[in-house]
Amino acid sequence: MAITSEDVGPTISLDGARKVRGNLTQARIRWMVLAMVLGFGLVGARLVQLGMVETDSTIEGQARDAIQASRPPILDRNGLEMAVDIRVPSLYAEPRRIIDVEEAVRKIRTVLPDLNEKWLRDRLTGDKGFVWVQRELSPSIQERIMRLGIPGIDFITESKRFYPGMTEASHILGSTNIDNQGIAGIERHMDVEDLALLQELGLARGNALTPVELSVDMRVQHVMHEQLLDAMKRYQAIAAAGVMVDVHTGEVIALASVPDFNPNDPKTALVKDTFNRITAGIFEPGSIFKTVTLAGALDSGAVRVTDSFDARFGVRFGRFTITDFHGKNRILSLPEVYKFSSNIGTIRVMQAMGKDNFRAFLSTMGFDKRVQFELPEMRLPTVPKDFSEVGAATASFGHGLSVSPLHMVMAYAAFVNGGNYVPPTLYKRDLADAEALYTRVIKPQTSAEIRYLMRLNAIGTGGSGSQMNRLALGYRVGGKTGTAEKVVDGRYSSSKVTNFFGSAFPLDNPRYAMIIMVDEPKAENPQSGTTAGWNAGTVTGRIVQRVAPMLGIAPDFSEVLDTQLTPPALR
Amino acid sequence: MIRNLNIILIFTSILMLSGVYALKFSIEHTASERTALAVLINSQEGDLSLLKADWAVLNQPGHIDPIVQRHQIALAIAPVKQEQFGAFANLPMRPAKPNSSAMDSLFESLEAGIDPIDAILELEGIE
Repeated sequence: MAITSEDVGPTISLDGARKVRGNLTQARIRWMVLAMVLGFGLVGARLVQLGMVETDSTIEGQARDAIQASRPPILDRNGLEMAVDIRVPSLYAEPRRIIDVEEAVRKIRTVLPDLNEKWLRDRLTGDKGFVWVQRELSPSIQERIMRLGIPGIDFITESKRFYPGMTEASHILGSTNIDNQGIAGIERHMDVEDLALLQELGLARGNALTPVELSVDMRVQHVMHEQLLDAMKRYQAIAAAGVMVDVHTGEVIALASVPDFNPNDPKTALVKDTFNRITAGIFEPGSIFKTVTLAGALDSGAVRVTDSFDARFGVRFGRFTITDFHGKNRILSLPEVYKFSSNIGTIRVMQAMGKDNFRAFLSTMGFDKRVQFELPEMRLPTVPKDFSEVGAATASFGHGLSVSPLHMVMAYAAFVNGGNYVPPTLYKRDLADAEALYTRVIKPQTSAEIRYLMRLNAIGTGGSGSQMNRLALGYRVGGKTGTAEKVVDGRYSSSKVTNFFGSAFPLDNPRYAMIIMVDEPKAENPQSGTTAGWNAGTVTGRIVQRVAPMLGIAPDFSEVLDTQLTPPALR
Repeated sequence: MIRNLNIILIFTSILMLSGVYALKFSIEHTASERTALAVLINSQEGDLSLLKADWAVLNQPGHIDPIVQRHQIALAIAPVKQEQFGAFANLPMRPAKPNSSAMDSLFESLEAGIDPIDAILELEGIE
């Protein structure tokens, strides 16, 4: 076997075993690096993807924090709760996690049979992440639904507003909607301030919120509310309302208007006639306005308390003649004008002052603008810009203009407290803060004369406040009645009247002023009348009799107090 | 030499691994305990809010007044009248000088074993 060198092809060179292994290792390392890069790339990409995802923390467009946010408790001036938050479970569903919609619908309806089947099915079908099923349930229902064990159905704890006083302070408190936002009354006012912002930020959680202290005294509020309901029944009235303020600080001690609503059930507020008559109702005030006329005239110096006025004949304006209801038809002294509520006498007093001065005094008392107050339910009063002769005459005894009872009570407070107007408030306010807000409207001397007139009307023979005084003996109450005829078909009706009683007590050192209103009362029995002394007056007397001891006012029967208030020489 | 080091390292890493896992599990346990406590606190706060609301209802004058009226006859209570209020000024003044003869007779009767209070109690029907 010969090997020829010519046949030899290209030389076959074989790599050595070491080199082969080295090449293989390098290839493997390269593959490995690629795999690692891919692997880490995958992880990195997933991380970026996760970072891009925006988690939806809202519940049907609302921040979860806002739904779980609580409101501060509202306390009365003695620390009694008027509004508290309770935690209640609310049922929600995550439709995208529900497996069998039909089964879920059937099971939920065994516990909540009130739910509409079709509505519930539509609600649970789809790809949504969150839908409410039923809000604000009781713990027992929560327990039963949990036991059903439906996937994709769960509970969230919400704060719900609860008003333990039920209807009693409804117009003060207002109410909240299902999202716990204030929609009326002081609740609304709190939101407008800064609570809403806190809730939005999710800071209003738990029990951290400081309670809001109101100026209201729930004991007095209860008595007033009860007496107003009693008045509606007793006099078959269509409505009644009352407000009591501290004359020195302007704090509202009680404010009630019936018919009212239950703030725990906000839809009852939509029923007709449940509006707040104290702030959102404007009425012709009738004769309680004579106090304003007399205060203005006495303060201007145009008349003195010892002056006399001719009330023998009616006052004629063209075709109209204005006469007196309890006509005495003689010359009356100024205290008699007040006591017998003489329209003629009051017109003469106003004329002595001058109609422009009278109109200017009404502006001083704030009768032509809204009262500064926390409640959002307010109405503008209607007082003519300029008075004609006859317009000024009717206005002097409270007709031809409409103001809210809140206007009247603040005017009465200013008249008896020494002559300083102080804006009312529903929050606690101390005397020093109140004094900074004072505006002087009448002189202290005039204020003393008004106190005298008001007390005289209660104790003098034939005074329209005597029925009130009989019920509240010893508490030195004084006041003025007002019977305003209502306009029916464009004419004043003598059968349909709105009755007022404006009062203050104890008049030797006034602390509280009050307006009581009874709308369209009827006579309690055949012996009684329908004028204000019979209803609004007696309601005032009963309220004072009950609340004066609560407010720390002891009865005092000593003659000397009344003698100082109403000098016998002037009676 | 290297082999021994490797063995030591392997054992250390196994030990540390088990340590890390133990820590992880204990943390998870603590976290679940914490969650359970938070849930418990939350539910108790809920209960507390209900109790507070209950108390607020029971404490309302509007809730107490009807109860008082219901038991007015049984308890012989009535709203306070103006005449029932007294003042310190209405209390009689102390006599200018003690009534010494009355005091003497009182002490004498006490000495004799007769306590006048017994007669008053008997009159009032109190034993």
